[in-house]
Amino acid sequence: MSPITPLSAADIGEKARRDLLLLLEGVRGKKSLVFEKALAGPLNLLVKFSTLQEYGVDRAFFLENDNVDSSQRNVVFLVRGEKAQTVLAVANQIKRIQRDSQIEHEFSIIWVPRRTMVSDQLLEEAGVLGEASLNEWPLYFVPLADDVLSLELNDCPTDLYLRKDPTSTYLAAKALMLQQQKHGLFPRIFGKGDNAKRLVDLLIRMRTEVTAGESSGSEASFLGLTPSSTIDSLIVIDREVDFPTVLLTQLTYEGLIDEVFDISANQTEVDSSIVGGSAPTGQGGSASTSMKRKIAIDPKDALYSTLCDSNFAVVGNLLNKAARRLQSSTERNQLAAKTTAELRDFVAKLPGYQAEQASLKLHTSMAEEIIKFTRTDIFLRSLEVQQNLMSGADPTTQHDLIIELINRNVPLSTILRLLCLESTTNAGMRPKDLETFKRAVIQAYGPQHILTLSSLEKMGLLQPRGGVGLGTGTAAKPGSVTNYAPLRRNIKIWDDEVNEAEPNDISFVFSGYAPLSVRLIQSIIQKQTLANLVKPPSNPQASAQANPLAQGLRIFDDATKYVRGATFDESQTGEEKAVKARSMLNGSHNDSAKTIVVFFLGGITRAEIAALRFIGSKLKEVGGEGRGSRIIICSTGIVKGGSLVGGAIENDHFG
Amino acid sequence: MSKPTANWEKVGDKFYRKVQLYTAVFDQDLELENYFVVGAPYSGALAIFRDEEKLHAFRGARAAKSTIDIYSCAGKLIRRINWDKGTIKGLGWSDDEKLLVVTEDGAVRCYYHLQGDFVPFSLGHESEEIGVHSCKFYSSGFVALLNNNHLITVSNYDEPRPKLLALPPSDPVVSWAIIPPAYSLSRSVEVILAIEKTLYVVDATDAEDRAFSAGPFKHISVSPRAEFLAFYTEDGKVWVVSGDWSEKLSEYSSRVRTVPKDMQWCGSNAVALAWEDELHLIGPKSAATKFYYDSFLHLLPDVDGIRLLTNDVCEYIQKVPDETADVFRLGSDAPAAHLLEASTLLDQKSPKADDLIQLIRPSLDEAVDTCVRAAGHEYNIHWQKALLKAASFGKSVLDLYSSDDFVDMCDTLRVLNAVRFYEIGLPLSYDQFKRLTPEKLIERLTNRDEYLLALRISAYLRLPTDKIYVHWAQQKVRVSTDDEESICRLIVKKLHGKVGVSFEEIARAAHDEGRVRLATELLNYEPRAGKQVPLLLGMKEDTIALDKAIESGDTDLIYHVLLHIRKKLPLASFFRVINTRPIATALIEASAWSQDRDLLKDLYYQDDRRTDGASLLVSEALSQPSLTPALEKLKSASKYLHDAKDLTFTRTQIDDAAKLLRLQETFEKDLASSPTAQKFLGLSANETIFALTAAGHTKRAAKVVSEFKIPEKTHAWLRLRALVSARRWADIEDLAKTKKSAIGWEPYFNEVLAAGNTRVAGVFVGKCTGLGVRERVEMWGKCGMVVRGAEEAFRAKDGGLLGEVWEGVKGRGGEEEREVGRLVGLLGRK
Repeated sequence: MSPITPLSAADIGEKARRDLLLLLEGVRGKKSLVFEKALAGPLNLLVKFSTLQEYGVDRAFFLENDNVDSSQRNVVFLVRGEKAQTVLAVANQIKRIQRDSQIEHEFSIIWVPRRTMVSDQLLEEAGVLGEASLNEWPLYFVPLADDVLSLELNDCPTDLYLRKDPTSTYLAAKALMLQQQKHGLFPRIFGKGDNAKRLVDLLIRMRTEVTAGESSGSEASFLGLTPSSTIDSLIVIDREVDFPTVLLTQLTYEGLIDEVFDISANQTEVDSSIVGGSAPTGQGGSASTSMKRKIAIDPKDALYSTLCDSNFAVVGNLLNKAARRLQSSTERNQLAAKTTAELRDFVAKLPGYQAEQASLKLHTSMAEEIIKFTRTDIFLRSLEVQQNLMSGADPTTQHDLIIELINRNVPLSTILRLLCLESTTNAGMRPKDLETFKRAVIQAYGPQHILTLSSLEKMGLLQPRGGVGLGTGTAAKPGSVTNYAPLRRNIKIWDDEVNEAEPNDISFVFSGYAPLSVRLIQSIIQKQTLANLVKPPSNPQASAQANPLAQGLRIFDDATKYVRGATFDESQTGEEKAVKARSMLNGSHNDSAKTIVVFFLGGITRAEIAALRFIGSKLKEVGGEGRGSRIIICSTGIVKGGSLVGGAIENDHFG
Repeated sequence: MSKPTANWEKVGDKFYRKVQLYTAVFDQDLELENYFVVGAPYSGALAIFRDEEKLHAFRGARAAKSTIDIYSCAGKLIRRINWDKGTIKGLGWSDDEKLLVVTEDGAVRCYYHLQGDFVPFSLGHESEEIGVHSCKFYSSGFVALLNNNHLITVSNYDEPRPKLLALPPSDPVVSWAIIPPAYSLSRSVEVILAIEKTLYVVDATDAEDRAFSAGPFKHISVSPRAEFLAFYTEDGKVWVVSGDWSEKLSEYSSRVRTVPKDMQWCGSNAVALAWEDELHLIGPKSAATKFYYDSFLHLLPDVDGIRLLTNDVCEYIQKVPDETADVFRLGSDAPAAHLLEASTLLDQKSPKADDLIQLIRPSLDEAVDTCVRAAGHEYNIHWQKALLKAASFGKSVLDLYSSDDFVDMCDTLRVLNAVRFYEIGLPLSYDQFKRLTPEKLIERLTNRDEYLLALRISAYLRLPTDKIYVHWAQQKVRVSTDDEESICRLIVKKLHGKVGVSFEEIARAAHDEGRVRLATELLNYEPRAGKQVPLLLGMKEDTIALDKAIESGDTDLIYHVLLHIRKKLPLASFFRVINTRPIATALIEASAWSQDRDLLKDLYYQDDRRTDGASLLVSEALSQPSLTPALEKLKSASKYLHDAKDLTFTRTQIDDAAKLLRLQETFEKDLASSPTAQKFLGLSANETIFALTAAGHTKRAAKVVSEFKIPEKTHAWLRLRALVSARRWADIEDLAKTKKSAIGWEPYFNEVLAAGNTRVAGVFVGKCTGLGVRERVEMWGKCGMVVRGAEEAFRAKDGGLLGEVWEGVKGRGGEEEREVGRLVGLLGRK
């Protein structure tokens, strides 16, 4: 029996797909499908529209548009049931159709990921509970790549940090619990951040609930609740712990695509004038708008996978190299010299070459567009501020630059990112400076941003020093702010000798700044490397294994005491007998090739994914520190600075 | 010991057997012919109900009260349900022994757990007025036929959703049957209706006429897995048609004038026709056999056979399983038959045993398998033993044989024999047991209050026992007369530490019984919040429910409780409840923000959260359709912050917002008639200045600048950008005449250049005195004034730089080259 790979993206995706299709099959005949916009991404990732059509979906509608017609007898709603607003929207649409339509309709609602009591209650009050048949589509993790699983809860940062609504924490715990039930408990759980702590508390609580809920004796639960032999640990990082990483402009290729064109669920929309004519619009089926072209950011594309995690500075070279290689292998004069066998070989490879050629063309034009963007004065100025702040320069020296940017009316989110960056890296802003900036922002962008600024303060992104916000305590409580000065020293989050072309450290993703979140993870799973980085050994031979810093959790402890939020380290054990049984069932696994699960509560940036992949590749090296471990990156969603502050920005305006 | 073949009957080339399960089932006084009898699947309980249309002997007032009686197959009364709710038009069982009672007016009661408790629901779809004609049941649902031929289907009982099927013609239905969704091609229930001379097949979307003309069909029966359909025609013939309607397989003529009372499939191989006391069993190829009884008989079809019920006996008719036939058939030369004989001979210490074994040696393992399986199909314990012994003997001769099946079979038979015992009365066949699954069997036993047996079997088969304990405890809570404390102690003592025991279910039973204190106490032992909360709410322990919900972290639960409390409590007490619970407050805020702003306002007011309260008002101001109410809102927002000292900054900002709006309104009015009329409302202060400057209203712009104390730098930038965007080059050149600029002159150069006006851009190069020569030379180059650049370099006496400029223009010819060349020459000479 081959060992089961825990949290395999393919398995999870396939299961979700099958579940959905089964539910759709349950509704007989042709049907109209109505779904939330927020679910369009996951749906697109999992199922092709043509497959949906095979399962009887006649037309698809967005719930938000409220335009589902009565063309089909069957109307299927596919919505998340956590928020009252969506539930009411569904109820109203059912009522509207019933009122307007001549024929009798069959309604079904598929709740994602679970049917909630509140939704039942609201539907009942609206008088439509009896009208629809209700189902659940337990969609938790959606695979974005082989090593990236996302819950695709795009509102999560706003919910969690602005509205303090812990729904996403609960759903995350549930998703992780499901994986635990399948693959066994995470033997050890590390984490940082108050919400992360809550998540882990929930996980542990759920364990007892599951034990109580399931019947004893059945084999699955007997094994399910013992520590896994294939998973090494779970590391939970609360986004709140490390906002600056999100606020910075990402400098990897994929990160910049996200910054410039916006990626959602592995798809981006690019003006067709940039990437050329309307090639077949990939997957999706939902007609692309006139000028925009949908492009799938496909992690399986060979060329793209070499590019996506590189610093943008080297992407040009990589593209050149790929172009030369392609050219040399397809050049005509070479063909002449080939034997027929070689020729046959070549012809067989041709479709591959063509696909690569197309991909090369696409990425070259996208890279050119991004270069245009990075050459703008505004981009350079804001990058300058960012780099200065992260390397530890006195923030007041940057104020003139920021004010100038405001005067030049650059997009508000760029300004807010810079301001929040300063506030979060320096434990708040001097109250006087803060007021100056607030006034400047309100005068420049409109009085409605009084609300924006107060939201940012609530999120802890933009605060006066000393934390006088919210009218709560006066002095900052210990552990409520992150102190960056010692961190620069202790875990070297700023790297002056960054090498973007041949990276030797994760600092390449921000051309200097090594994301704090990833450093914390490193301090657990890559202690030796990090220790040697922080304190280069005097004698390179002797210290290969013996850097005193690398012992136990010393670096982790050293670092976390300067970082805000709760720190924790839990072990989950089970009955010894069961542990043995599991390891016997899964074959002897020893210590090697285990999976490390990293969970980012509140979202992860693409730059961090790149950094984690870099660590992953180092761990995989044979004989290295990681013993061939594999990192699986899980998150509530992909986040970037624009969307983080965007959640706070008030979009309404006077007049 | 009678021969196992004694009760066999040959039908065509197949054997059928009639196993006598129980005798003296019912009281002789019970006139079974006047009753409806329905049996639960898998040899489950029987429900009998008196047919009100038939005459019956008067036995005094008490007996006249109508009841639905539930019996075991052995005739033991399990439960008696008093019935006074109208005419029963449908009585049926589900797979998990739920009893469904459908009355004429479309009301359905679902009795579960063989108790008197039920869940009612209604069929709807006008069944109340039209009336139910009859019902047909399948494993998890049923179809009801209304008097106007409308068909209503219910596909599950947990959340019954009656659905109307397609409409068939409204002529009288002669007979009808259903194909369960599990076996129909469409995966949803299908109904076969015999109307006039033809048959209709009805599903959710259409009613199709199958165009038969041999009708009217008096009976329709569908085989258990819908492979075959049987029809009874007017002229006494039985037709068997394949399930896909493609071919007619056989036709049998009963040669009886009277229409049989019932026609049912016996397994999937034979059709049984029942008259009052006569039974015809029709096998494939129209072969048939007849049985006669002394009294009225009822047919209870099951998956692999048919149960037959009279007052005296309960019998089971099935096709003899192949293994059993192999072993016992007269003259059988199957290896298993030899093995059985060898085993008997061995008992008699006859040497022939070995001869026989040697004879079947090559197929001995197969013989053992057959014996094991035949033992499973055997009802008689003597023959079970004999077969197992034979198997064991054969096994011992084999070198390599996996005994798993043998051991399993021994376990299974023990269980089967135990439950077939007449006091339990569950005469499961081996196949039925396998399909029912042991877990369901345990459930059936607990429903019959046979806890000890259930526990023993669970232990024997290594099955979970939690449900048995819970059921026991529930029953204890319901019927025990002890005081609450000792009941609780007893239950906790017995159940604590047992995995999977749901205290919530027990607590719920206690609560339903009115023992509130006991329920609360028991609930404390329940670890799952999702289970605790609804019951706590039901018990009116709202705050405890809220705390439990918060503990669970499940926001859905918290919302649920909050919604519940919100409806019950006055606002002030509601706030008091959530005040001390930050998560609850946050959730209320989050949901109220989009739905109930007034609630939010009260909340902020009560908590004295001024910033939030003001924010709310500002947000409301934003959503106002016109200016006056918006200003009103802003004013109240400002007032809200009136006496909070630390919030003066926010207050000033809000006041400024109002001020700006008023200013903008005046501008709009003033400029309404001018050609540059435009909308100002909604712009920021900076944008207003920008727009005014661009339109040339410098004075008004200056007013905004002074009103809002716009910093000089900002103003300079705004003016520059506005003028550039409006292409007011003359104004820009005027600016160049001023001596100083708050932002230096470079931005002027850059902005103008970016707008494409090289001439005006050039004006500013000379003013950028703060820059080095090289930069300035480049700037000249950018605006295309190479010569001026060269002059700059020349003046700075920078030969290298001049050389670079020269490189740029060399060979271009014309004035420029000449001039630059001249300068190069000049510098070189110096």
